[in-house]
Amino acid sequence: MFHRRFLEARAKGRAARAFFSSAIARGAMSSALALAILSAPARAQTPDQQPAAQTTDQKLEQLQQKVDELDQAVKVAQRKQELAEEAAAEKAKTQATVTADTSGFTIRSPGGNYLLKIGADLQLDNRTYLGTGAGSAIDTLVARRVRPTFSGTIYHYIDFMFRPDFGQGTTAIYDAYAQLNYLPWANLRVGKFKPPVGLERLQSDDDTTFNERGLPSDLGPQRDIGYQLSADLFKKRANYAVGVFNGVPDASIGTDAAVSDHRDYSARIFLTPFLPDENALSGLGVGFGASGGNTDGEALPAFKTFGQQTFFTFASGVTAAGHRTRLDPQAYYYLGPFGLLAEYALNEEGFQKSGVRREIAFRAYQIEVSYILTGEKKSYASPTPRKSFDPLHGGWGAWELAARVGDWEAEKGIYNYGLASAATSPRHLHEWVGGVNCYLNRLFKVAADYGKTDFGGGALNSNKLPERIILLRFQINFI
Amino acid sequence: MKPTTFFKRALALLAGSVLFGAGPVKLLNVSYDPTRELYQDINAAFAKQWKAKTGVDVEISQSHGGSSKQARSVIDGLQADVVTLGLAYDIDSIAEHAHLLPANWQTRLPNNSTPYTSTIVFLVRHGNPKHIKDWDDLVRPGVSVIAPNPKSSGGARWAYLAAWGYALKKNNGDDKKAQEFVTRLYKNVPVLDSGARGSTTTFAQRGIGDVLLDWENEAFLALDELGKDKVEVVTPSLSILAEPPVSVVDRVAAKHGTTQVAKAYLEFLYTAEGQEIGARHYYRPRSPEVAAKYASRFAKVQLFTIDEVFGGWQKAQKRHFDDGGVFDQIYLR
Repeated sequence: MFHRRFLEARAKGRAARAFFSSAIARGAMSSALALAILSAPARAQTPDQQPAAQTTDQKLEQLQQKVDELDQAVKVAQRKQELAEEAAAEKAKTQATVTADTSGFTIRSPGGNYLLKIGADLQLDNRTYLGTGAGSAIDTLVARRVRPTFSGTIYHYIDFMFRPDFGQGTTAIYDAYAQLNYLPWANLRVGKFKPPVGLERLQSDDDTTFNERGLPSDLGPQRDIGYQLSADLFKKRANYAVGVFNGVPDASIGTDAAVSDHRDYSARIFLTPFLPDENALSGLGVGFGASGGNTDGEALPAFKTFGQQTFFTFASGVTAAGHRTRLDPQAYYYLGPFGLLAEYALNEEGFQKSGVRREIAFRAYQIEVSYILTGEKKSYASPTPRKSFDPLHGGWGAWELAARVGDWEAEKGIYNYGLASAATSPRHLHEWVGGVNCYLNRLFKVAADYGKTDFGGGALNSNKLPERIILLRFQINFI
Repeated sequence: MKPTTFFKRALALLAGSVLFGAGPVKLLNVSYDPTRELYQDINAAFAKQWKAKTGVDVEISQSHGGSSKQARSVIDGLQADVVTLGLAYDIDSIAEHAHLLPANWQTRLPNNSTPYTSTIVFLVRHGNPKHIKDWDDLVRPGVSVIAPNPKSSGGARWAYLAAWGYALKKNNGDDKKAQEFVTRLYKNVPVLDSGARGSTTTFAQRGIGDVLLDWENEAFLALDELGKDKVEVVTPSLSILAEPPVSVVDRVAAKHGTTQVAKAYLEFLYTAEGQEIGARHYYRPRSPEVAAKYASRFAKVQLFTIDEVFGGWQKAQKRHFDDGGVFDQIYLR
């Protein structure tokens, strides 16, 4: 009976109900109304008993007071909740966010003016030399690159990067620079980084199609300390970079200090004229890099094969001295899963022996083609697999086939002037490399390359066997 | 070309680029919670006057929040050309911690750089069902008092000190009894907002509490907006003379090249027009003429100053509102 009447009363939607949204308030209201309803029959049965009626009124007043108190308590609780949420929202505006995902670990200030990213670049290589052509090279597992990476932004306009390398038993700083991005047409970079010359050298170590770079990269600077202005222009249709550097030998990262008062001047222009539209030519890029400087006091360059064996040694008493010019025309073309990269390097470098200076020309080229079998889009950067490697659920990652041909040559004068021995140092190399890359996911890559390098020039034409190597790499990269 | 001619031309070019290339002058006024409406009117009037006087447009942006919170924002880098805060201590903090203006900033404009004053009054519900007439009524059991947090709100600090000053006078300067009184008062405060506007929302829109401790101007604004059939203003027998100060933030204004217009903006507050706008928004004018004209808007109330009772803001702040101070002791306990 009571329950039915109570439900009826509730159904009538008394005005007081509007005040209560919480369970507590509804409970209080139910109690108050129930008591009020219960008291109604009693009053009807004793209409002439005034003291009883007063008691009922008093009870109603007390109940009303209780309801008011509960109403206030509910409202206070709700308001406190609102204030707590406002305070939390306000706090969030000044609190840094921390994320961990495929791009590494990131700490970001509100608004993004301050940012720190911690990443890593790990490459473990298994080198297996075939036959006897590699001479003293031994099969080995080697930690090719072990590079923790710290990069980010400070004061909104300044990016920074710090990346040491602990691979191959050495400790060296590879990148340490700050870049002021205040003017969109002239970003100023200061520190140690890749000078703007070679196309494949400027490609990230994790994005190269093959486990080791091609022969033109033997003729360019690897890292150097200096200043650089660079920018993307015309909606990224053009990129320019000009810089002044200490100067380093070919394929070297230098000694973190200049060895003479001379400086190297580098410049590069790279055009992607069909960007940003998506068409058959939007993946075309052509460019030209160059540097000029002086080799006085520098170490002699060390040229290496695909198997990372030094194949050329200068004669005793030879030092680097004189002018150095590097020219590097370059291009790539990407269309869907297909990729083509071509580069030519021409160097003229000064050497000295017995007080006589000579300039020697070196030339190298490479052409590489690749095709991603699983259909991902090939580009200057590594592809992201459509489906990460997870065979049990139909994911096989991205698979790529690639081939490269290349050549390296020093002019004959290198023997004629006594700068190298025709008996021990070949002045001509020809390589070809075939490879299979498996991008298991955004972070992890397994790559297997087979490389064959033929040596020639001088007295070696007939008696130095080719280097043949299978190079297997396991790579983890999150930056 | 002579060097002097070259420099003259260069100067003219520079001046031209400044005058014609920069567009309207922009100011940011960082203020406390209840001044939104006041400065909307002040800004419009000043911009009109400045345009007529100089031919230059000026756009004034406003930022509002609890006074101390706003001061903290300026210290942390909010680019305020001028600050118009709830109490002098907050501008002192900017001078002390961020060195954006000199320590003697308060001497640069009349009346200690306080162009208008206010006080603390009570806003109660229609009919004053709890019969609240004076401070003693706020400490009665069962009376729910709404007030913002003195740690973040300038108005709340004025209110706290007003209550303390009342209790001191009532108890013949007995500090212990004053503390007991204020402790009882804050036991009746169920929720602390961060600023005066938030407390008004709590009281008026959320329907919480029996009485709101509020700036006089904020209370009358609520009365105008809600209607006399909803709330009433009760003026206590004794309250505090609240003196909200203003100042140019020298280093920011210099960086923006707005020092001149910022000074003029604050000086405008002292003009007859600025004082009248203030009075219309229930800020007590400093100008005797304007005060006389608007006398009927303001109840006569005995007012004491913070210097008289507490020895100034520095002392009051240190004893009552610093971390671990009296307020922390009585409210967190």
